[in-house]
Parts: sequence; C-alpha cells; structure tokens
Amino acid sequence: MSGILVHLPEGSGEAAVTLRLGPGERARFGRGSAGTPVELRLGDEAVSRLAGEIHATDDHWQLSNLSNTHAYLVENPEGAGEYLRVPPRRIGAPIPFEFSRVVLPSRRETPLSFQVFAPDHVYLDPHAHGGSWESRTMTAYSLDETATYFLVLVALCEPWLRDHSPAAVPTTPQVVARLRNHPACARLTARAVSSHLDYLADEKLRIELPDAGGRADRRNGKREAVVGLALKFGIVREEHLALLPRPEAAEPGR
Amino acid sequence: MVHDPDSCEDGGELLPPGHRVGAWTVIGPIGEGGWATVYAARRAEDAAAGTDGAGGRVGTDGPDGADDADGTVGSDDADGTVALKVLPTAGLAPRQARQVAEAARREAELARSAPHPRLVRLLDTLTLAAPDHPALDGSIVLVMERARCTLRDLLATGVDEEQGARIIAGICEGLAHLHRSGWVHTDLKPENVLIGRDGEVRLSDFGLAIELVGTHGHSAPMGTPDYLPPERWKEPLGERGVKIRATADIWALGIVIHEVFAAGVPPFPGATPTARSAAAQQYAEGRAALRLAPDVPPFWRTLAADCLAPTHAARAAHTAESLLARIRAHRSGRRFRRARPRPRTALLALATCATAAVTAAALWPDPGPPPQSARIRVFNAERGCQQRTDRDPVCSLGLAVDPLRPYTADNVVPTRVWHDDTLDADCQLPTGLPIIDEEDRTSTLWYRVRLPGPATAWLPAVRTRDRPALQLCP
Repeated sequence: MSGILVHLPEGSGEAAVTLRLGPGERARFGRGSAGTPVELRLGDEAVSRLAGEIHATDDHWQLSNLSNTHAYLVENPEGAGEYLRVPPRRIGAPIPFEFSRVVLPSRRETPLSFQVFAPDHVYLDPHAHGGSWESRTMTAYSLDETATYFLVLVALCEPWLRDHSPAAVPTTPQVVARLRNHPACARLTARAVSSHLDYLADEKLRIELPDAGGRADRRNGKREAVVGLALKFGIVREEHLALLPRPEAAEPGR
Repeated sequence: MVHDPDSCEDGGELLPPGHRVGAWTVIGPIGEGGWATVYAARRAEDAAAGTDGAGGRVGTDGPDGADDADGTVGSDDADGTVALKVLPTAGLAPRQARQVAEAARREAELARSAPHPRLVRLLDTLTLAAPDHPALDGSIVLVMERARCTLRDLLATGVDEEQGARIIAGICEGLAHLHRSGWVHTDLKPENVLIGRDGEVRLSDFGLAIELVGTHGHSAPMGTPDYLPPERWKEPLGERGVKIRATADIWALGIVIHEVFAAGVPPFPGATPTARSAAAQQYAEGRAALRLAPDVPPFWRTLAADCLAPTHAARAAHTAESLLARIRAHRSGRRFRRARPRPRTALLALATCATAAVTAAALWPDPGPPPQSARIRVFNAERGCQQRTDRDPVCSLGLAVDPLRPYTADNVVPTRVWHDDTLDADCQLPTGLPIIDEEDRTSTLWYRVRLPGPATAWLPAVRTRDRPALQLCP
C-alpha cells in the first residue's frame, strides 16, 4: 500500500505539481490564501479558496467537495465515459477508479482538472482458487488486465511470448503501431505509451533500476526491466496474447 | 477477460476417491490452496515394500487414531493416512509450470536439508500419472504427514491461553530452526501452521520459502497481504525479485500471535486485507498508534508489539530464538507459580540429582571396558507427557528400524515406548541420522535396544537422559 499520486499539470504560469499521499494522508485543494493554506493550488477565480480535500484511504481515495454551490466530476479516462458526480458539500465520497480526472468548473474555455492515480488496487490471481480469498497467497503486484497499461505491457512482451527470440524489446512507435487496431487504443500516442511504461515501472511494479547512462539509456533500461520482470514473475503470460488485436503479419493469406 | 471462467472456477478437476497415486490411494480432498489441492490418502494395500521408492509401511499405533507425540521420531499417522499435496502443471504455460515445479523443489529441498519436529514432514515426492484425468496428469505430488487441522480451523473453535502459548512456542521453535538453517518462510499465516495429530505445531507450505545469502534473500513478489511487513510495500522489485529478510517472518508472527489470543481478530483495523495493509502502513509511518486488542494477555501483547516493530531495523532485535527464550521463561515461570506448594522441593531435587552424578563420576574414575548392556530410561521432552502414566498413544515415542535411514513411516517398529520406560541398550552408534527434539537438542547418537522377542530397534539419544558408555555397534 504505497498510497495515491495526485498530479496537477502545468498551466496558467504555474509549474506542474505531483503529490504522493500515503494511506490516511490528506491534501487540500483550492485557490488558497494566506489564511487558508492548500497543498494543491488551483489558480482560477471560479475555484473557492478551500475547494475540497483528497483523503487516501485503504487502496482508494475519498473526495470531499467543500464548495457550497458547485458539483465536481470525477472521470475515468479509461472508462469510455464513465464518471462520478460529487455534489456540493459531500464529504468523503469514495472514488473507485485507478485513474481519475477531477474536473472543477472554471470560467476558462478548458475545464480545470487534475489527475489522481490509485495504483494499490488489488486483483486476485486468475488461477488461484480455494480457501478464503482474504487469506490467499497472491502476487504482490496486481495489475488491471483491462487497463491500457496492461495492453502496452502485453505488446512489449509479445515477441517473447510468441517465442520469436527477439533481439530487442519493441520500441514505443512499434507498440503504438501494434495496438492501433485495438478499439481502446485508436488514439494512443507515443507519449501516452511512455507514460504507461513509467507508471508500470515506478508505481505498479516499483522496479529497481541500475543507475546507468543518460536519459535514453535509462528509458531503454526501464523498458527492458519491465518486460524481463513481467515475464519472469508470470505477470504477463501466453494467455494474455488474446488481449491484443490480431497481428497483421500473421495473416499472409489475405 | 481472457480467462475461461469455467476452467478457473472451483479449482477444476479433482482426483476421485480410490485413485492410486504411487503407493497411495486417495480418500478424498481435504483442502485447496492457491496452486494445489490437498487430499487425504492411505497406503495402498498391495503396495509392496520398495516398489515405489517409498518403502513398505511397518507399524501403526492403536486403532484410536492418535499419532505419536514426537514430530521427528515418529511414524506416519496412526490410521495410516497421509496428505497428498497435488500441484497440477498441465494446462499451465511453460513459465508457470516452471514456477510450480520450483515451488515443489523448494519444499522438497527444505524438508531434506533442514528437517525439524516443528516442520511438516515430507515423506515422498512423485509425479502423478493420470492419463484419464488430463488436467491432473503430470502433476507434482508431495506426500506429507497428515495433520489434524490448520491453526485457522483451530482459531474458529477457540483457543485458550495455555493452548495458545503452546502453539506460539511451537511456531517459534520452527521459525528459529528455519532461520538458523538460513531459510525464511515468507508466507507464515494460520493456514500454513498445521496442528499435528499430537496437537503440536507443524509449519508447512514452503513453496515460497527462500534461502538467505548473508542477511537477506530474494523472493518472487508473492505473499498474503495481511501478513506482509509494511516495508514490503515500498521494497523495489529487482531482477531477482524483492528483498526478504528474516524479520518478515517475525512481523507475520506478530500478526499470528494477535490472532491466536484475540479469537482470530487481526491487529490492524479494516474490512479487507487491503484496508488492513493500509492501516499497517499508516502505523509504520508513525501516523497511527498500534492498538492491540485488550483481550490479548499482557505478556503476549508485549511480544506481539515487539514482533510488530514498525521497521526492519527495530524488529531485527527480536529474533525467533530470543522470542522463544522469552516464551519459555514465561511458561516455566507460570508453571512454578502454579506449583507453588513445592517449588523449593523441586529445585532441591534437581540439585540432588546433579550432586549424585558428580559423586558417581568420582567413585568410578576409570570406567574400564564398556559394559555389555545398560538400562536406559526413556525421556519425552514433551512436558505434558512426563507426568502421565496412562500410556496414552498421544505420548508414545517411536523406535527406528534403521538409524541411518530417514525416520519416516516405514522406518519405525510397531512397538511404542513412553516416558520413564526402561529399555535394555546393548550398543551405541555415534553417527546415525541427526535427530532434533522439541527442545532443539540435536544428536547423531543412537542406542540399539532389545525388544520383547528376539528383536532390536533403535532409540535416538535425545530420547533419553542416560549416557551409558556402551561398546560401539558392529
């Protein structure tokens, strides 16, 4: 249980902010002022000084809407339009998504939003059975097999799973091309693939990287380490190949 | 999802009763774990000695189903049943099949290299031939001594303080032995603590156990969330897995102590294992205090709190060995308090014995040639058995057929002995199989003893306090 991650992208002259909250920790957000300090400052006139609070609880988080008038939306960017509406003055609404975008009303053209990641969600191992699920031995790193990051991981591991004995891990553009025909990945960008890879390596698997070389080397090292460990510990297996769209090259007859 | 729910639910196919597995006949399933199904089985009637590598069964106790009181020096169960842990590999991808084989290999390796009365005994390993059950064909089968139940089952029925103390001491004995032998269990929980037919603890499920290299080892990123130490959630995943130290078992022990003395309630609050892990994390980071249940007796509460020290460094001071010493001191203190009318007499008697031994040595400074035979008195380290004179099978001890072969079911004579029995020993073997008793005394010394009729058997020296200077056995 490493907690949650709150990320406010840069905007309106302010640098990007990333907060990590352990279980039980809280972060306030809003316009802030000398008398009302906030951990996450949202510089928008439409936002109250103290607009709300995020509370990391168990493996998820709770959102308190401290506004008297505005409802906040919590969207699941991977949920095909799935969202929650947190009405004004609601305290501690539990948020079930692993990825969330909290959207606050704004007078600007683009709505004001920040992201919250909850990487601690736990999934049972697919082959495990018997006994109470509560006391079952399981993989300590559980991945959502329906998430885009998992597709990216399977695409990265695919050459090994198909016994191609490849020389190298697929590159980011190769992954983008490989997943293009998947309905959930039609608009997947190279940058998104890189973010998913970072998320897998840093938040989900918590991979220990040897300190070596420059940024490019590090990126490659991370990619290789993710693939190596995912295969070694059976996080990605042959059966997961079914998640990928059909490989184009495998249909020479057409 | 890619998984076919039908093939994953309910654990798939089961072996039918009567199915033959090596020398054993399946009675029925008794439990299911993550990767394995456990069956009760009995030795097949036509299984001749030596045909399957497991050898023939020699003796049994009375018909009441009680096992011998000692883990090491024992036979298999009184009713002749064993537990078969069947780990299917068919239908698994090659990498997973390798993982299962690796888990089985660890169990066998640990049982072979570090046997102990507090670890479940592995009697045999074999590969299942079941061509008519394709899902099970080729499974790895571990043949183990059968237990009465798991600690989880026992917690459901209620455990009193004395029984709890005995169980925790047993777990500590097992852990101390594992750690001393350079292993970490890594998956200690009430499901993996078996209660033998003798009521004593047998640690089991060493599929995740790892051998330490120096102060730590590496394990696959597996575990049971409720029993993982808080630092595990921050531990990075390296090439060889996550770093594991013996203090991980100590944390798990702290959770188990609490569960034993608080009617199965875990020490951290929360409705799910995830919530409880988060609460443990909160405690470890100093944002919450440790609040143990008030029904845990003070001695055990202190012990649990020490095991649950928030960091590896703070926990390192509390080794299984040191915890065991505290438990023994506590238990013997209680025993003395209960026996208040005559504590002085007991101490005095002990002193008298010691003096007598010294005198005896002084009287016979030169022993001369070793005698042809000597009377030795059987000693059962199980204190509860020392007072009893009813020759209850629970308190009986086994004698070996061959002191050089593992002390398993097929290597035990039908005759049982009890504490304070005297036996005629006619020679000694200083280099037999090492035997460790419940108090962790180890010895490779064995005495050959005469049995009624023209028969002999072997008693390990840890089962007597006498040390006659007998001639060496031929």
